[in-house]
Amino acid sequence: MKRMLKNIGFVILLIPALAILFFGPRQQAGVPKGRVVVTYWEKWTGPEEQQMKIIVDDFNATVGLKKHIFVQFVSMADIDKKTLIATAAGVPPDIAGLWDNDIAQFASLGALTPLGQLAREHGITRKTYKKVYWKACHYHGRLYALVSTPADIALLYNKLVFKSDARKLRAAGLNPNQAPQTIKQLDAYARVLTKFGPRGQLLRAGFLPTEPGWYYPEVFFWFGGHIWNAKTHQFTLTTPQDVAAYRWIAAYSKWLGPEAINSFTSAQGNFESAQNPFMLGTLAMEQQGPWMANYIYSYDRPFSTLHWSYAKALTMPLAQRRKNYGWAVAPFPSAVPGMKDVSYCGFDAFVIPRGATHIKQAFTFIAYVESQPVMERLCSMMSKNSPLRKVSRDFIEHNPNPYIDVFEKLANSPNARGLPKIPIMPQVVDELNTEAQAVALLERTPTRALEKAQHRLQREYDSYERVQRLRRAEK
Amino acid sequence: MIQWRNEIRQTAKGLAFLSPWLIGFAVFMALPIGLSLYLSFCDYPLLQPPVFVGLRNYHAMLHDSVFWESLRNTGYYALLTLPAGMIIAIGAALLLNSRVRGIAIYRAIIFLPSLVPLVASSMVWLWLFNSRLGLINTILRYLGFAHPPGWLTTTQWAMPSLAIMSFWGLGNTIVIYLAGLQDVPRELYEAAEIDGASPSRQLWHVTLPGISPVIFFNLIMAIIGVVQNFTVPYVMTQGGPDRVTYLFTMYLYDNAFSFLHMGYASAMAWVELLIVLLLTGIAFWSSRHWVHYQGK
Repeated sequence: MKRMLKNIGFVILLIPALAILFFGPRQQAGVPKGRVVVTYWEKWTGPEEQQMKIIVDDFNATVGLKKHIFVQFVSMADIDKKTLIATAAGVPPDIAGLWDNDIAQFASLGALTPLGQLAREHGITRKTYKKVYWKACHYHGRLYALVSTPADIALLYNKLVFKSDARKLRAAGLNPNQAPQTIKQLDAYARVLTKFGPRGQLLRAGFLPTEPGWYYPEVFFWFGGHIWNAKTHQFTLTTPQDVAAYRWIAAYSKWLGPEAINSFTSAQGNFESAQNPFMLGTLAMEQQGPWMANYIYSYDRPFSTLHWSYAKALTMPLAQRRKNYGWAVAPFPSAVPGMKDVSYCGFDAFVIPRGATHIKQAFTFIAYVESQPVMERLCSMMSKNSPLRKVSRDFIEHNPNPYIDVFEKLANSPNARGLPKIPIMPQVVDELNTEAQAVALLERTPTRALEKAQHRLQREYDSYERVQRLRRAEK
Repeated sequence: MIQWRNEIRQTAKGLAFLSPWLIGFAVFMALPIGLSLYLSFCDYPLLQPPVFVGLRNYHAMLHDSVFWESLRNTGYYALLTLPAGMIIAIGAALLLNSRVRGIAIYRAIIFLPSLVPLVASSMVWLWLFNSRLGLINTILRYLGFAHPPGWLTTTQWAMPSLAIMSFWGLGNTIVIYLAGLQDVPRELYEAAEIDGASPSRQLWHVTLPGISPVIFFNLIMAIIGVVQNFTVPYVMTQGGPDRVTYLFTMYLYDNAFSFLHMGYASAMAWVELLIVLLLTGIAFWSSRHWVHYQGK
């Protein structure tokens, strides 16, 4: 009896084990025979994931078929950390979709494959790209990344709010049919458009420098400031321009009160929802990227279809089509007289991690995406501008983003800027976010906050340099 | 000789049965622990080989303001949660130990929140603490507080908010106290009653000494839990505002996986272990004076 029970137990365990072995998931499921599999990890989930998947499927059905390559697309959260760990373990993906901020850190650690030679072989040169993106793909003069999709930051403003408060704007000497041109004007518009409730609570903010809270390290750009001097390897956070940028953040908190701002912000919904404050009309102006066109269309369709259906509007000339939208885009104002079309140009990056097994095939896919028709298709789907120098008329005229020409102009501007390539970039972003938050809460003065950040970051960088020297000496 | 052979065979069999655990312990515990000790003396950015830097990581901690800030925050969090958590848990256990109708339902209600995953309950509490729309401030406004606090958004209230939220998950601790309370001999209460002891005296002189080993156990677990706390502040505040809820483990995590200072993070992990050892050591030392075991 005992023996029988033992045998039954053994069989019970054996059956699922064999079932998993023979019928369980396969890594190569769905891969056509005779193809080299290129693994591609990407950060996007939701619509962007689907849009990139369309491009991947097209590649697999055309160029991939011809060249015997199959790109396996895997979408995941925390892509930077996962890529890092996989690279350290020696099993990285063939392509990883990182952020522009990651390039310097990964490249400085030797975690990325230089792409210069491969790019040249595929005819991708500095002439292919807009200057700002090409420069940002390099670290210490070497090409380590190419752009999967780019973006730049502009001022989004709610035309309907401008219209409803036109009288007040005119009374304040401001033009309701035009976006603010300078930071001073932006503040003046914000004062007029801000509304308070009976208990003094903030009902509508004209503008808040702390919204959406993603661009603290870039706030210096609007004031002509810099984070870093690449020649001297010194942070430059205590310059008058940088202090002015933080004073600007503090000024809003002093005017509205940090508690009122926090209470207002916490009552707003997620960025990716119909409760987004810009879509709700509770935030009249915001610093944002081109992707907002898609989000507004998805979550607040009437805001993008005031007169005609979306499909019908797409067939109209651009100037007429813009009347269909309750929102508009303008270059973000600058505090520096005469400095126009300032923008932060960031991007999603294709990189080939060190230790990738199919470098050439991986680059074939990257080069496919970098070709003008494919890139324009991808960027159109995501309503983003193109990183390429050449842009077709059709891309501008029939882009789902009716203001794509503004974003194109900003990316081509001599004042288009990327974040500096500092190997300790994650600390820089973390520190600047913390200090900007402290200034917004009026916990520290702008000067004190920037001195603190300058001191801490410079010490971090100097320590990094010391260890690098030690490593070189050990070699 | 035969007996000796049998013993060896038995030992080998025993070790063979233990081997999954032994191998698992060696590969997943002992080796990483040893490696982390070695790495704590190295600069190791994960993607380059470690370079021995001696005590530099430990020395750097002395001058790292964020390290001290995170340590201070963890200490503050411990002060807010440990004593209050114990009082609340013992109080709840005492109530749940009473003989009233439907007590099983009350026990289940108190225990249920501790079954909810931490991330899920954090999301719920994010809304409860919402300064304009949250239930807590809505009630406070209804009670006449015109300007209720911005719970998670102000530097003064962010950490107390996390402490309040931590009491939500005390169900496990309460159940352990409840088991301890039911183990206190009935005759001690009867004797105290005959001697004329009031309920509060009974609590002080019978109940608390009776469950002191359970209090001691929960104290040790709470110390370890508090020092290792990560998930809730990571989900709810990400260490903000202005780093006031940036706990030790969060800084350790950032050093390891965001800044790639694996060596520094390893050194921090060893400092954390020393802190836990020190605190539990103090608890063990003091237990001689306040923990009473039955039959001793």
